[in-house]
Amino acid sequence: MVTLANRVSRWTLPAFALALVNFLLAEALILAGLTWPARSVSAPGTLAAVHLLVIGWLLLLMLGALFQFVPVITARALASQRLALLTLLAIEAGLAAMVGGFLAIGRHPALALALPAGGTAVLLGVLLAIFNLGVPLFGARPLALPGRMVLSGLAFLLVTVALGLSFALAFTVPPLAPYLAVLLYAVGDHALAGLGGWFTLTAMGVSYKLLPMFMLAPEERGVAGECVHVLGAGGFALAVGAGLARVWVAAEALRVAQDSGYMAIAIAVMIYLWDIVRIYRTRKRALIEAHNRAAAGAFGFLGLAAALAIGFAATHRLGAGAPLIIFLVVFGWLGGLGLTQLYKIIPFLTWLTRYGSNLGRGAVPRVQDLVRERRSYPWFALYFLGVLLGAACVLAGHAGGLRPSLALVTLATVGLLIEYWRAWRGHYAHGRRDASAPPSFVSNQRG
Amino acid sequence: MAEPITLDVREELRRGGEPLPRILQAVASLAPGQALRLLVTFEPLPLYAVLGRKGFAHQAHRRGEGDWEVLFSSEPQPAPQAPAPSTAAEPGAAGWPAPRTFLDNRGLEPPEPMIRILDALEHLAPGEVLEALNERDPVFLYPELKARGAAIRTEVRAEGVRLLIRHAG
Repeated sequence: MVTLANRVSRWTLPAFALALVNFLLAEALILAGLTWPARSVSAPGTLAAVHLLVIGWLLLLMLGALFQFVPVITARALASQRLALLTLLAIEAGLAAMVGGFLAIGRHPALALALPAGGTAVLLGVLLAIFNLGVPLFGARPLALPGRMVLSGLAFLLVTVALGLSFALAFTVPPLAPYLAVLLYAVGDHALAGLGGWFTLTAMGVSYKLLPMFMLAPEERGVAGECVHVLGAGGFALAVGAGLARVWVAAEALRVAQDSGYMAIAIAVMIYLWDIVRIYRTRKRALIEAHNRAAAGAFGFLGLAAALAIGFAATHRLGAGAPLIIFLVVFGWLGGLGLTQLYKIIPFLTWLTRYGSNLGRGAVPRVQDLVRERRSYPWFALYFLGVLLGAACVLAGHAGGLRPSLALVTLATVGLLIEYWRAWRGHYAHGRRDASAPPSFVSNQRG
Repeated sequence: MAEPITLDVREELRRGGEPLPRILQAVASLAPGQALRLLVTFEPLPLYAVLGRKGFAHQAHRRGEGDWEVLFSSEPQPAPQAPAPSTAAEPGAAGWPAPRTFLDNRGLEPPEPMIRILDALEHLAPGEVLEALNERDPVFLYPELKARGAAIRTEVRAEGVRLLIRHAG
């Protein structure tokens, strides 16, 4: 029988759970002092924590979300639910090997081969995911803006993972080193393709659908949305492409192209943030739910990261400022958006799975009955405060202050995790209102 | 026909009050065929649904920032905001009886529209049709309707997504 539960991607909630565990592991590594700033930016511990964050936390979070999101925007099923599970397993196993490989660098040369082996497994998982998501996306062409942004993002994901794998091979397979070692100059482009082209473009595309959906704002983003996509995707492609070419060719034209790419990205981010403000302003729903209230923090950090990047670039300190920008993007913008949106997505999927088939056949709790929004606000506030304090410490030259700040971030992550768990378990749902009660008149009032 | 009754709840709304009881009281006091002229600070989308179920059509008019005038009348009016219940002659409804129930689900966040549609569906007799106007294509509703053997026809219009749903049987 077809039920609502069948509309819910089976591996989305498990992907979220796995992602959150990886996030906590990464935070533990940082708190234990195995990473930057206690160690160097390129220390094995830093590399392990960074990949736990971007592959373990953000990649699994984003793929889990897309396994649910893409069928909704395309009205087509994934190529296969089983492939979605294989993706999760390949990526998590590959990540575990990579983390082991990073920590073995310089200590256990034999174990270092775990790095390219893990990278290959991650690449395999990503290729499966791209195929799985590509089938409904290609089948539903012409795509609306969110779908096109996800497609662009997936292209950058492929570039990112391929670059990462070539680094691993350069490190660990000596015969390949002469051909690939030169690519290590392009580590910045690997980060830009991943955090920018893949995560940021995709998060923007998903937010263009999710925010209007729950705030009842117009979905059509018009010229602004097209500009964000074209300038963003074009900017990242130009910056990453020219950056890679500069590894081999020292041409002034390439530097200009790279700078033009950076500029296009900055403009795209500004238009996007302006457009997001427009979504909040033109919403028909008076009430803004906790996840979208707290999401303002994530948008603020995207703006802050962009402003600092422009400032660093203007004073020719982009290289020195990169760790701070990456910290703001990973924890403030992407992590913040992820944590806030999970606070809606988890109850929503839980509700669809658990109560969908009972609708119209007796009392059913509302989605909002699965959460206690008031309890989430202190955790969101603590999370963003911790990120802000950490960034302030680094900016002021007291990088040592980053760890205590991250203790706050970790505490907030645990607090939110407990709230997600309670939503999923139906902890708050008992004894709430009858679903057939009429909507409150005032609940939709503006301001 | 009697002049419309005017009810101004703007002051109460600005104070943070809940004027719904007063509005329902005013509606109950209307003479047959008499209309209610409501002055509010925002477009009262949920109220359209509440009064729509009582057989009232609405015509909204924005007079300025935070100032709306809405006319509720018991006879359906051909206004853009208030699509009249469709007839069997309309495209997409061929062979189906005229809708028995109309739900205006605009202004409701997901999944509220789906809950209301499935709720209303339970109150229809086999073969009867309900009409709903949603903000968006209700992707999560389709499999659930299929599971209940109900048929659906969807049409995207300027004012929203119009759905005709026929109870199984």
